[in-house]
Amino acid sequence: MNDFLVLIQEMLDNLGIDFRLEIVVEYFPFFLKGAALTVGVSLAGIFIGMVLGLFIGLGKMIKFWPLRLPFIWYINFFRGTPLLVQLFLIHFAVMNLILEQPNTIASLVVTLSLNSAAYVAEIFRAGIKSLDKGQAEAAHSLGMNKFQVMRYVVLPQAFKRMIPPLGNEFIVLLKDSSLGAIIAAPELLYWGRAAVGQHYRVWEPYLTVAFIYLILTLSLTYLLNYIERRLDTE
Amino acid sequence: MKKYLSLIYLGLLLVGLLTLVACGTSGNEESNTTGSDTESDSTEESAADEPEEKKVLQIGTDAAFAPFEFMETGEIVGFDVDILEAVMVEAGYEYELKNVGWDPMFASLQQKDLDFGVSAITINDDRKATYDFSTPYFKSTHMIVFNEGSDITSAADLEGLKIGVQNGTTGEDAAEKIVGENSSTISKYETTAVAFMALANGDIEAVVTDNVVADEYVANNPDAKVEAITDEESFEAEYYGFMFPKDSELVTDVDAALTTVIESGKYAEIYKEWFGAEPNTDELLNAAE
Repeated sequence: MNDFLVLIQEMLDNLGIDFRLEIVVEYFPFFLKGAALTVGVSLAGIFIGMVLGLFIGLGKMIKFWPLRLPFIWYINFFRGTPLLVQLFLIHFAVMNLILEQPNTIASLVVTLSLNSAAYVAEIFRAGIKSLDKGQAEAAHSLGMNKFQVMRYVVLPQAFKRMIPPLGNEFIVLLKDSSLGAIIAAPELLYWGRAAVGQHYRVWEPYLTVAFIYLILTLSLTYLLNYIERRLDTE
Repeated sequence: MKKYLSLIYLGLLLVGLLTLVACGTSGNEESNTTGSDTESDSTEESAADEPEEKKVLQIGTDAAFAPFEFMETGEIVGFDVDILEAVMVEAGYEYELKNVGWDPMFASLQQKDLDFGVSAITINDDRKATYDFSTPYFKSTHMIVFNEGSDITSAADLEGLKIGVQNGTTGEDAAEKIVGENSSTISKYETTAVAFMALANGDIEAVVTDNVVADEYVANNPDAKVEAITDEESFEAEYYGFMFPKDSELVTDVDAALTTVIESGKYAEIYKEWFGAEPNTDELLNAAE
């Protein structure tokens, strides 16, 4: 520990606060490694979830009901069962059939993507439905086909309205990635738990981990605010 | 202006975190103050006046470690539970056994929310720094469980393999002694049960855990095609004890009752019931000294 930390430790001791900084220092490299994985897994989950979610959301809006049904039940399942159960199912049952060598990180990314796709689908649907029908009708009357109406008129406007709820979803997803600790994917909470396991002290590791999660979610919040401002036309 | 707002926001966050830290430690502070505050003094005295038998002891366990403690149709059962019952009857205490989980149990003991913990807890020096222990009530060693066909004959073979352990257990210590602390080849699981699931799944190639748990798993899962070996040279024998908060006054009472239970043959009875073998009680009593 360097002098500065020793000084803070002394200050804490004098205040009667039982907080051992050396545990935080010892595990800090692991926390950083874990945070990097948390960010990576979340970004992958957000990206894949958005792409999948767009198609599922559009699928749920198909007028012919037998075609609509699978999309409805996809959303029902992933929104209606606990994420931890989905993670266990996907890691211990589904990924086994796909991958020769099971990989906890891959399982985590797949679970987060599939789960967030269900929520994102509903957000997309809400965004598209919220637009005045006249917009699409006007575009049609200009001679645009269905795809062009979606691509150039509806989606760009709907997307702006979807940013706040999408931001919510991203933050939830980032925090939910901590469930990976249960199947021993070495993300941020996994290393927090490892530190607790070694020292049998809960405050130092978990407070540090909470603080790092907070930094990550706050950064995401500011980024989303920035995007929202950039896209604001008024 | 926006910039200042976010700075203020960050500041508030820090204050909030520090308050949390302070809250977490205030419990300890109270129990540390001795005699300086007259008010707290009088409450402590009145608590001491109550006859001790009336107090229901709060005991914590992590009931996911068959056959020592596990849930059977909603009730906590196991070797530890029966030993605890015998010891508490002997010592004349009322008690309540609660399934609180492994990590929370340590936290609660540190905060003195629990009177003691019974959960196949190995007595070691690391833990002795923060907690007190009873005399030993069980001797254990570690075992390596692996899928049939893996070429593992000793602990040294673990090097380079993917190993699973339960987080915060001595199985973890034993494995880390061989491949290095927080080595990337070690995966730490919530419970030993999940580690075994990961072994069957192929996430890991070996599980290091206490011998009785390993035997139980091998016996109960003939389809899992696993083998278990021990390595007396690399894995030291260890003893389980009841774990108390530091400086607990209960330790002497419980120790005396435990010794009686072992000497009276009650211990051997329970041991045979769970493990089907005679215990080496002399070894246990010697280890106590």
